Amino acid sequence: MDAKPTDEETADALSRVEAEPLLPVEKQLIAGSLLLGAALLGVLLWVTATYFPAK
Amino acid sequence: MKSWVRTEDTLAVLLGFGVLALSLPGIAGYDLLGWAASVKIWANPAEAISPASKGYAPLTGPGAVAATFAFLLAVLSAGMVFIGASPAKFAVRFAVLFALAFACWVGGHYVHVAATPDKYKSLGITWSLGLTNEAGYLFALLGGLVIANFVPAFAAWLKEAGRSELYIKAAIIIIGASLGAKAADESGKTQAILFRGLAAIVEAYLVYWAFVYLVARKFFGFSREWAAPLASGISICGVSAAITTGAAIRARPVVPVMVSSLVVVFSVVEMLILPPVARYLLADEPMVAAAWMGLAVKTDGAAISTGSLTAGLFFPGTEGVSAREAMVLTTTTVKVFIDLFIGVWAVILAVIWAKVIDRKPGATVPWRDIWERFPKFVFGYVLTFGVCFAIGLADPASIKPMKDGAEQADVFRRLFFVLTFFSIGLAANFRRLWAEGLGKLALVYVACLFGFVIWVGLGISWLFFHGVGPVPGKG
Repeated sequence: MDAKPTDEETADALSRVEAEPLLPVEKQLIAGSLLLGAALLGVLLWVTATYFPAK
Repeated sequence: MKSWVRTEDTLAVLLGFGVLALSLPGIAGYDLLGWAASVKIWANPAEAISPASKGYAPLTGPGAVAATFAFLLAVLSAGMVFIGASPAKFAVRFAVLFALAFACWVGGHYVHVAATPDKYKSLGITWSLGLTNEAGYLFALLGGLVIANFVPAFAAWLKEAGRSELYIKAAIIIIGASLGAKAADESGKTQAILFRGLAAIVEAYLVYWAFVYLVARKFFGFSREWAAPLASGISICGVSAAITTGAAIRARPVVPVMVSSLVVVFSVVEMLILPPVARYLLADEPMVAAAWMGLAVKTDGAAISTGSLTAGLFFPGTEGVSAREAMVLTTTTVKVFIDLFIGVWAVILAVIWAKVIDRKPGATVPWRDIWERFPKFVFGYVLTFGVCFAIGLADPASIKPMKDGAEQADVFRRLFFVLTFFSIGLAANFRRLWAEGLGKLALVYVACLFGFVIWVGLGISWLFFHGVGPVPGKG
């Protein structure tokens, strides 16, 4: 495990965070993840109800 | 031996396997663990502690505590040697931590705290807070919290022994055996829980991570290096996910370590708030509540402890053992699947960062770093669960003896739970939230966790677990 940073080190690291615009690949990752989640929701609910019904 | 082998994960698996091995003779009627200390609801402090098995009654309560302490001290100190920590430093601190945690555990079993209404007559009382035996864990958590926040120097001194992840992972390995035997007994329901748990975490992962990453990047202005571990830490599995993600995207060590410290603080808040909320909101849906604890509470220790706490609230009496086990199986299944999925997600992120975002000459996927930080104890759980499940399916007559053996080991599961709760409290110093520069980090955590993750987790749990399993008062 890495050594725990002090509060001062963390504050320093956070204060030096520079704004970075969202890259196209990040937008694709976010959108792809959410869309896949939405699509799989229907599939998984159908499989659950069909093959693993509540008892 | 390779460095990634000599870790707390491996030690937890060895501890769990060791305890289970000692419980195996129980199948043939030999009780090798009955000397361990067991705590029951008490009005007279002299009657609070006894050996777990009646066969060891002559040992008396104090003798059982001494034997339990000596056993844990010996195996854990040897474990410290194994992982390269100082056994002497650990031993002194563990002695103090054990004494404090055990005292809290006993305190939580006081008759006016723990007794449920159905026990009033036999215990000769007319009122109680009715917090059940699980109050002992709650007292341990509060004990650790008091020390962390009011005597931080003492908490820092105890830190070497406050290894919550080690204790809970050993407990999870032990739970694996009893849940495996139970699963074989009810294989249809278990298959449903396993699939529904897998489906729930796939959904949660895909929705949580993307949303939290977007919020951290777009609305709070975090860089990619901060946003990715933050998204994994808040949305998925706290410490393990933040650290594995940090390795996958080659973040500086300060990032996942800092995120992890926030995870612990907020998981304590969840541990205190969510079980009663679940009991109130989901009175007839205990399995939804159990899955919700797995999806909402971060870190293995906090999630599985909270699942157990919640199960105790839904089914407090001895007649509710089977239903409690079903709930714990659900929370554990969800959490273990999440841990497994961390590896998958880390690889996806590593590929994207190495091939598209960083695109440094010679950049490769850090397979070794991901593997080293992956929570490998899940393989131990899968093994104990899988072996007991397979044996039970192949030979149903073996289920009862396996359950008896697992019951003997369960006394150590409870002890590890107490040590976990106390250690989590010990690590949760709320003053850190006010430390300079951490405000924004804490704010994004609060906003995403309490504004989104918890409620989406409830929705997903409801979709996949409503109508499943036991109903309080009916089974």
